[in-house]
Amino acid sequence: MTSERLVAAEARPYAEPYVAGVGLGVVLLAAFVLVGRGLGASGAFARVAASAAAFGDSTRVARNAYFTGYVQSGSIMSDWLVIELAGVFIGGALSAWFAGRLRADTERGPRTSARLRLAVAFAGGSVMGAGAVIARGCTSGQALTGGAMLSVGSWCFMLAAFAGAYAVAPFLRRLWT
Amino acid sequence: MMAPLFDTIAAGTVASGGIALTIGIAFGWTLERAGLGSARKLAGQFYLTDLTVVKVMFTAIITAALGVFWLGWWGVLDVSRVYVPETFVIPQIVGGLVFGAGFAAAGLCPGTSCVAAASGRRDGMLVVGGLFAGVLAMGFALKPLASFYRSTPLGARTIPAQFHISYGSAILALVLIGLGVFAGAERVERSHRAVHA
Amino acid sequence: MTTRRTFAITALTLGAAAPLAQTPFRRHEASIDVDELSRAIELGDDHIDAVDLAEWIQERREGLRVIDLRSDGQFAAGHIPTAENISIDALSGIAPRRGETLVLYSEGGAHAGQAWVLLKALGHERVYFLRAGLFEWEEEVMSPTLATDATDDERRVFERSEKVSQYFGGEPQRDVPRSTRALTTRELRRRGC
Repeated sequence: MTSERLVAAEARPYAEPYVAGVGLGVVLLAAFVLVGRGLGASGAFARVAASAAAFGDSTRVARNAYFTGYVQSGSIMSDWLVIELAGVFIGGALSAWFAGRLRADTERGPRTSARLRLAVAFAGGSVMGAGAVIARGCTSGQALTGGAMLSVGSWCFMLAAFAGAYAVAPFLRRLWT
Repeated sequence: MMAPLFDTIAAGTVASGGIALTIGIAFGWTLERAGLGSARKLAGQFYLTDLTVVKVMFTAIITAALGVFWLGWWGVLDVSRVYVPETFVIPQIVGGLVFGAGFAAAGLCPGTSCVAAASGRRDGMLVVGGLFAGVLAMGFALKPLASFYRSTPLGARTIPAQFHISYGSAILALVLIGLGVFAGAERVERSHRAVHA
Repeated sequence: MTTRRTFAITALTLGAAAPLAQTPFRRHEASIDVDELSRAIELGDDHIDAVDLAEWIQERREGLRVIDLRSDGQFAAGHIPTAENISIDALSGIAPRRGETLVLYSEGGAHAGQAWVLLKALGHERVYFLRAGLFEWEEEVMSPTLATDATDDERRVFERSEKVSQYFGGEPQRDVPRSTRALTTRELRRRGC
C-alpha cells in the first residue's frame, strides 16, 4: 500500500476531464476530416480475431459471414482500425511513461484479490466483446463516432450501455468499493 | 481541396496508414491523460463517485459534432462523405445492454483496455484477452442469430432525419443536454465529496 | 474565466447558432430561368437523338461527357460506350466546365429529362438528353431496321444509323417486312402522343 501511494505521489495528476474531452473531440474530428471515418476499437479486435481464427481454421472462418467481412482484402476499413488500435497502445504507453504511471500491477477494488480481479476482467471483457459484435461497435466506434454524427443506432447503443452498466453495478459493488 | 481527403489519400496507402497510426496515438495519449486507463476510475462512474467518463465522452461528442457541423457549413468538410454507422435498433440496444454489463465488470472498454494494458496493467491485458474471446465466440455464434442480428435496420439514419428536425436544432439539443449532464455530474460529485469529506 | 466557463459559453454560442445555420451539408446555388428553359424545350434544343450521340462519340467530340443516370447494377449490365454512371442525387457534384457538352440518358428518358432541368439550373450550358433513353440507343444505333417498302426519308435515316451502328458493333438489318417490324420510338413520336 505504501509503495503504491509513493508512486502515485510522483505521478502527474490526471488532466481536467473537460479539457481531455475537447482533446478527444479534436482527435475524432481530425479523423472525420482526414479520412471521413471515426475511431473504433472493437472492429480492430474483430479483424485480428478473424485473422487469428482463419490461421487456425480457415474453412470455418470462410463459412462465417461475420468474419469473412473482416478478412476479405476489400475491407480496408478494418485494417485502418487495426493500425489505429496499435497507435492507441503506443499513445497510451507514451503518455503513461511521461506521466510516471507506467508500472506493472493489477488495478482492483480494496476488497478484491488480484486473482479475482483478473478473472472478472477476462469475463467482463468477453461479455463486452459479445455485446460489441451484436451492436456493431463499442464506446469508440458507436458512442463517440456515431454519437458525434448523430446516428440513431449509436445513441441507442450508448444509452443502453449506460443502462446495462448501472443495472449490473450494484451487484458488483464488492469488486470496486 | 475539400475534406474528407480520403479520396486523395487512397485507402491502403502508407499515407492512410500513417494517419491511422497518428490518430491512434493521439487517441491513446488523450485517454491515458484523462485517467481513463484506470479501471478503478472508470468504475467510479457506476458508483457515482467519479464521473470523468461521462464528462470526457460527452465533451468529445459535442466538440466533434460542433466541428463537423461548422466545418460543413463553412464548406471545408463535405459532411455527406463522412461515414455514419448503420442503425439496427434492437441489436444495438441489446448489444448495448450486454456491453454495458460487461463494462461494469471489466471496468475498461475496448479502447481503454488497450491503454491500460499498454500502461502495464495486468487487468487491462486480461480485458483485452477477454474481448478477443468474446468477439470470436459471438462471431461464430451469429449464424443462428442472423435474423435477429439484421433486424430493425434503419440504414444510416441520423437523429435530425428520424425526428424531422433540422441538423442545427439537433446540435443545439445535443449541447443543451450535454451541459445539463455536466451540471448534474458536478452536483453528484460534489455531494459525494461532501458526504465523504 | 475558468476553462469550464469558457467551454460552456463556446458550446452554447456555437450550439445556439446551429439552428440558424440549419444544415452543415453543402448547399448548391441554383436558379431556373423558366422562360429560357421552356424556349429551349420548345425549340428542341434540350435533346439530341441517339444517332447524334453516336456520331459525337465516334468523332471524339471535345468536352463530351455521356452520363448514365441508372443504378450501378443496370450500368454494369450494359451501357453506352464512354458513359459515366452518376445518379441523380450526385448531379450537383458535377462542376460546370468550360467547353463541356453533357448528354444524359436513363432507361426510358424521364429521369434524363428531369436531370436536364437540374443541370441547367446548376449553370451547365450545353446539356442534352436522349428522349427515349437507352431504348433509343438500342433501336437506332445497335439494331436499326429498314422496312422493305421504306420511304426515301426512312432510307436516309437508316443509312445514317447504319454508319454508326457498325462502329459500335451493332447489327443493322435491311429488308425487314413492315408487318413484323415494330414501330421505333422515333416513329411513335412523329405520330404524336
